[in-house]
Amino acid sequence: MIVAASTTEPIVITGVGAVSPLGNGFAAIADGLLAGRSGVRAIEPGGFSREGRHFAAPVAEIPPPPRSCGIDDDAFVKLGRLGQLCGSPVAHALADAGLRPAADRPRIGLVLGLGAEHLKTWELDFLSGGTQVFEPRCDDTLVHRLAGMLHLRGPAVTVAAACASSGYALALGRAWLHAGWVDACVAGGCDVLSPTGLAAFYNLRALSRRSDEPSRASRPFDRDRDGFVMGEGGACLVLERLSTARDRDARIYGELAGVGMSSDATHMVTPCSDPTQAARAIRMALEDAGVAPDQVDYVNAHAAGTPVGDVAEAGALRMALGPAVDAVPVSSTKSMSGHLVSGAAAFEAVACLAAIDRQAVPPTLNLDHPDPQCPLDHVPHAARDRRVDVTASNSFGFGGSNLCLVIRRVA
Amino acid sequence: MHASTANVEPVAASCGVAGHALVEARLADIPSLRDRPTPVGAGPLPARFLRHADEQTVVAMRAVLEAIASSRASGTPDADRDFSDYGVVSAPCQPGRIAAAHSLTMLRSGGPVTVSPHIVPQCSLHSIAGAVSVALGMHGANIGTSGGPDALSEGLLASLTLLAAGVGATSGIWFIATAWDIEPSLDADGTPIEKACEPQTCVAVAVALTAATATATTTGRLELLEAPGRSAAWQPRLVDSPADGIRRFARALSAIESHGEAAARWSHALPWPGEIRLSAAAAASRLREAA
Repeated sequence: MIVAASTTEPIVITGVGAVSPLGNGFAAIADGLLAGRSGVRAIEPGGFSREGRHFAAPVAEIPPPPRSCGIDDDAFVKLGRLGQLCGSPVAHALADAGLRPAADRPRIGLVLGLGAEHLKTWELDFLSGGTQVFEPRCDDTLVHRLAGMLHLRGPAVTVAAACASSGYALALGRAWLHAGWVDACVAGGCDVLSPTGLAAFYNLRALSRRSDEPSRASRPFDRDRDGFVMGEGGACLVLERLSTARDRDARIYGELAGVGMSSDATHMVTPCSDPTQAARAIRMALEDAGVAPDQVDYVNAHAAGTPVGDVAEAGALRMALGPAVDAVPVSSTKSMSGHLVSGAAAFEAVACLAAIDRQAVPPTLNLDHPDPQCPLDHVPHAARDRRVDVTASNSFGFGGSNLCLVIRRVA
Repeated sequence: MHASTANVEPVAASCGVAGHALVEARLADIPSLRDRPTPVGAGPLPARFLRHADEQTVVAMRAVLEAIASSRASGTPDADRDFSDYGVVSAPCQPGRIAAAHSLTMLRSGGPVTVSPHIVPQCSLHSIAGAVSVALGMHGANIGTSGGPDALSEGLLASLTLLAAGVGATSGIWFIATAWDIEPSLDADGTPIEKACEPQTCVAVAVALTAATATATTTGRLELLEAPGRSAAWQPRLVDSPADGIRRFARALSAIESHGEAAARWSHALPWPGEIRLSAAAAASRLREAA
């Protein structure tokens, strides 16, 4: 029921569930990011590499949901790999937040950023000998099935904005809390590696071809970058109002303090070289959070390692932050995790929470020769200790989607 | 249509409806729409803009352009406005099946080199929203929603969220829902099998939603309401096929444009205790005052 009045109260993060190439859960991921560990490795080509070898950043193991959450082992297996990559972090985020939907009956919403659920489902079925893609039928979405399995009693929506999908999920969840439609919301997103996805991005010449040294292939902002490295996994966060979090003594990881979004409206695929709209999204997020550019302690860049995209983002940051940009550390954690596509924005929100928790900025690996066209305060190779209270995280995607989240420490 | 619930109040969010169009295209007619998507009265699109687009994107684009052309033809006060401050929310039902089947069969027979690079950008959940945003120069947020049988309500909920919460600072949103009325079966190569006895029709409705609920151009009002009398259990409540649900919604929009307050309301029960309701702009405002 819609009982809470709309509010401008801070919306805070009280639960984290994540599966990633760097490990699972907040602590393991924070450890991996700040140690500068790469999750990129050679993988079985699975029919998509013309050279007979390829590399990516896979998830090694998907942790089953906690037994108390309502998804038993059989049901979890039947979800398939994409469903498991989504269901596990949703269930673990709820458990981490100490929420028990079946027992406590709060109104909990669910928003998942999933850019191509059906394409991935059809493909994984096809590769295991199935014929779903040839047989028209209209199955319910994963987000609806998970909402039912987890006994959630709030709205449940799938959103997609390509590589910014899970960031839009966080934005919608925050808006539902501000509007008073839910008591809490699980929001985030995930993605799964698939042969067609890899082949399509490879044929688009968007992927790095540095197959002889996988862990050095993802090199955002580096002069010698040649494309991104695909990864899989993602993260889900539990959002709730500050007052309800404090009432129940929940751990507060940080505040989702600001959201900005815009569209380039120039091309479906090619990144826009004009930074105006991306900068607008960044400014919008800062204004939403009431933060001045010189108050930002860390920017987690979208920077996937593509020649055009990284330069455009550097331009957007310089335009949005103005003279303050030279004193704001910027890094791309995609150098370690690869590009989690639909799950990237939520995973990178976790990276911001890690920076706040550990008071250190995660590095950009493989940044041996910073591109002079990307003049920023880079954090190459190793984490940098510093006070981190306010962070910003950018996500950009096909279709010209721009998104910026501001996440800050809660005193 | 979803079953409506009695005693739904209060209004949690609302927005205005400023125009719409419904387009239905049979599978055989989609290639010509792909080549010539622009109706009389709408501005031109870049050449071959929809060359690689999914069928649902082609029909969705036509619906948006027809809504704009219709608005211009009727001379509404801001018919010639640009939509640069609009966002787009699309709600397709399982987009990209034909291209996905083709891609997978090509992967199997010809290897990775044969996989089209367009499959991801053109057949994903956000592809309709992205294409409309690019075509009409819209700088508000553009997102896809759902992809499943309840796409209409998920998309409307996302639209109301963006408009009511002011997220993205847009003054309006083009909301587009699409679905197949009997989606084509595909042969082993991923080629659609046309059947004269089946409609195989792609249905799209495009609706201009405005943050302001009472302007000179708003004919209807869309509201999200609480449904306290309903069970709190989360459950799907689909009654219609997705295509029929879109048609009923479009018929209600047309009735409100033609008959105003005399038109019947349309309502859509959500899988959680809430309901989305469409009514004539003036009637909605009186109902609120009475409440």
